[in-house]
Amino acid sequence: MDFDFTSRFEKLSGIVHRVASPAAAAEKVAQLCRERQAGCLALAGLEPELTAAIEACCPAITVLKEPYSRADLPAAIDRATVGVTGMAFAIAQSGTMVEVSVNDATRLVSSLPRTHIGVVREETIIDHYADSGPLIRAIIDSHPEQVVISFISGPSRTGDIELKLTLGVHGPEEAHCIIIAAPA
Amino acid sequence: MATDRYPRLYHKIEAALQDRTKSDLLRGCMKRGRDTRAAALEALPGGASFRDDVRAAKERCIENLPRLKQQFIERARQRGAIVHEAATGAEAIAYCLDLARRRGARTIAKSKSLTTEEIDLNHPLIEAGVEVVETDLGELIIQLAGEKPFHLVFPSIHKMAPDVAEIFSRVTGTEVPNDIPAIMKVVRQYLRPIFLNADIGLTGANVGIAETGGICIETNEGNARLVSSLGSCHICLIGMEKIVETVEDALLMILAHPVSASGQLPTNYVTWMHGRSPLGEGPTGDDRESHIIILDNGRSAMRDDPEMREALYCIRCGACMNICPTYGVVGGHTFGHIYPGPMGICWTAGVHGLEVAGDFAQLCISCGLCKEICPAQINMPQMIAEIKHRDAAATGHLLVNRVMMGADRAARLGSATAPLANLALASRPIRQLLEKTIGLAAERRLPPFAFSTFMNRFAKRVSRVATPRRTVVFFVDVYANHNNPDLGLAAVDALEALGCAVIVPNQDVSGYPYIAYGGMDQARRIARSNSDKLAPWVRKGYEVVAIEPTATYALAVSYPNLLRGDENARLLADHTHELFEFLIEQEDETGFHPPADLFAGRRFGFHCACHQRPLGGGSGAIKWLRRRGAQVELIETGTCCGMGGTFGLKGGLLGYDLSRAVGQPLFDLFVNSGVEAIVTESSVCSIQLAEGTAMKVYHPLELLTLR
Repeated sequence: MDFDFTSRFEKLSGIVHRVASPAAAAEKVAQLCRERQAGCLALAGLEPELTAAIEACCPAITVLKEPYSRADLPAAIDRATVGVTGMAFAIAQSGTMVEVSVNDATRLVSSLPRTHIGVVREETIIDHYADSGPLIRAIIDSHPEQVVISFISGPSRTGDIELKLTLGVHGPEEAHCIIIAAPA
Repeated sequence: MATDRYPRLYHKIEAALQDRTKSDLLRGCMKRGRDTRAAALEALPGGASFRDDVRAAKERCIENLPRLKQQFIERARQRGAIVHEAATGAEAIAYCLDLARRRGARTIAKSKSLTTEEIDLNHPLIEAGVEVVETDLGELIIQLAGEKPFHLVFPSIHKMAPDVAEIFSRVTGTEVPNDIPAIMKVVRQYLRPIFLNADIGLTGANVGIAETGGICIETNEGNARLVSSLGSCHICLIGMEKIVETVEDALLMILAHPVSASGQLPTNYVTWMHGRSPLGEGPTGDDRESHIIILDNGRSAMRDDPEMREALYCIRCGACMNICPTYGVVGGHTFGHIYPGPMGICWTAGVHGLEVAGDFAQLCISCGLCKEICPAQINMPQMIAEIKHRDAAATGHLLVNRVMMGADRAARLGSATAPLANLALASRPIRQLLEKTIGLAAERRLPPFAFSTFMNRFAKRVSRVATPRRTVVFFVDVYANHNNPDLGLAAVDALEALGCAVIVPNQDVSGYPYIAYGGMDQARRIARSNSDKLAPWVRKGYEVVAIEPTATYALAVSYPNLLRGDENARLLADHTHELFEFLIEQEDETGFHPPADLFAGRRFGFHCACHQRPLGGGSGAIKWLRRRGAQVELIETGTCCGMGGTFGLKGGLLGYDLSRAVGQPLFDLFVNSGVEAIVTESSVCSIQLAEGTAMKVYHPLELLTLR
């Protein structure tokens, strides 16, 4: 690898956690929720086992998950303190997590709560930004109708006042990436 | 007089020159933009070479635009988007009004879009009773303050935290503290209900992808993600020039744009939107729609105009603004209509009309730096020259600009009448009269004219090379010919010392002032004449050498662009060299070693003229000095010294005053650098630097005689 995802993502004010397994990822989510005293957690685009594991780890918290009922949106997700979404892949060079969604509820989970956690499988991290073309094409081609790909590289930011970097303008103030180690 | 012709422009320049706080802020903003860009390029594999890729991609996509646009429309429709082509801004507005009416929309949440500003989309919607809210923080501040954006990337940079706190105290009715985190909290609370309840989300797009029928929206704040997912109806207004062919093209654009704007790679969020996704699950009856309006509004005409076509390569990064010397002093409120800065001149001419662009095109001093930083290498200097030319065709050239374009004739007269002319030029009353009558700045200390020109003296000179290694065609600029023949002869000596025979065949002046002021017919005539006169010598195997950076630039860069496809111009350009670049080459070829202690213990600050930047950035002269033992530091602000060729010779606000304001930060750098003298190859820069710093300014060759 020419580039290191972790150092790049951290340079963009993101926080990286490396864990050994999906179970450990669920533990990490629960810990982050406890530290932030989250009363409500929203999940989207995760593997069913991981969703179940996170629910099991967070008994005292309201966990929102797919399918989201149209009637409750967007208010339900706006009440969540933490949002967790699964990532299709990540790009080391630019410190980018790549989220794929066919329902905009997923995009709300990664943009309305103050804390967003992206879950990335280590084996899906590619090195060069320029090599993402074929992956993006494959994703778009496999969805003949609607699909949204979101590049997420750190938390929401602005420099609009006095050029001072300020995080959490409209989107998340904190962007975490949990990297699940590749199976040995 | 220029004041009568551009009263509003003059008034604005005057106000801008008095507002030091604003221009210091703006300068900081621009410098940061340039510095972060440079740092990002360091980390980018291939560095600035992505510009070649962007250029090639834009050439291809604009060439095939009609086909790509059709493909984009078809594929976007296949994904369920409703696509509408709007020939004019009015048509796009009508479409949005109709849509808002049909959907009974009360609130529209917008994320930053220059294209919506271009057609002034907000006002008709507001008049129709719809609340339109900008959600990009900078744009929101501007909207609430009732102003116009100051800078493309940082629209509200002139608003300090207390100003912003006051604005939000006013709109929320509660006291907002002066610190930025507290302001942010209030902004978040203020905007959240607007995001959640907006009926329509309105965005622009940075890219449209023909291959997939999707759009890319870049944002750092994340507001475009909310705007495009929350409202039941999404409208995207996209200029047709944003359509590219492939996913790879899109990746290139969303890299080039933020890297050039602010050194980011890429923005925090990039949304690749394909069709309109549902929100949540449940019974259908979903009224979620995605409307894409493809805007022409003069773009097709720009594409059909060979002089304006390159404007469509613009990806709206604002890098040209971050390097433009006069923009850096007066800002976007003066230097722009809706589109600001150098590119703003071109886009304003294309979409808002020539006369609107002509109003501020005079702020371009033709330094050419915008072209050197542009990710698509757009030839803005020439495009702006063309706009000045067309504007003058309608209204005539300013007298002072005509005077500057004909400076070579004045110089001929000056040499012919040298003793008298020099007395006159040194006389204050005469100079004040000249400022009043022809607009020549009375404050400028002009170099005296030589009675015996370089041409006269060279004709009498005997070559000192018995058996030449090669022959050089010497191109003589006006300054060397009429003001400083010694310098021209010193250059000939230096060439001969390395075994080069020097000839000065029939030639014209470089003609660059015609480009600078938009005298395009004369510029082309001179370019053709010089190309035809000099190309035959090149065919004989001779190389062309010039000593004035602007003259070299005219031959090496401008002529082939002025005379597209002209073989002589291309040949001349490929064989034109800066003197010192050529001397270094000859030293290396012959194994010549100059005395390494010639300038031992001397410390010089080198000033690179703008027109040298694409020619090697003065590296030849710096190397030449260092080989002779001098300590040389390149001292630069990253933009022009303000002289802008002959711009700084003009009197008043659209000349001397603005030129000095641009130069001040560079003067300060030189004065505080501790070097003993300034070295530059440009005769006009040296006038500006000598006056601005009160330091000694030399041409490198002059150091040989002044030891």
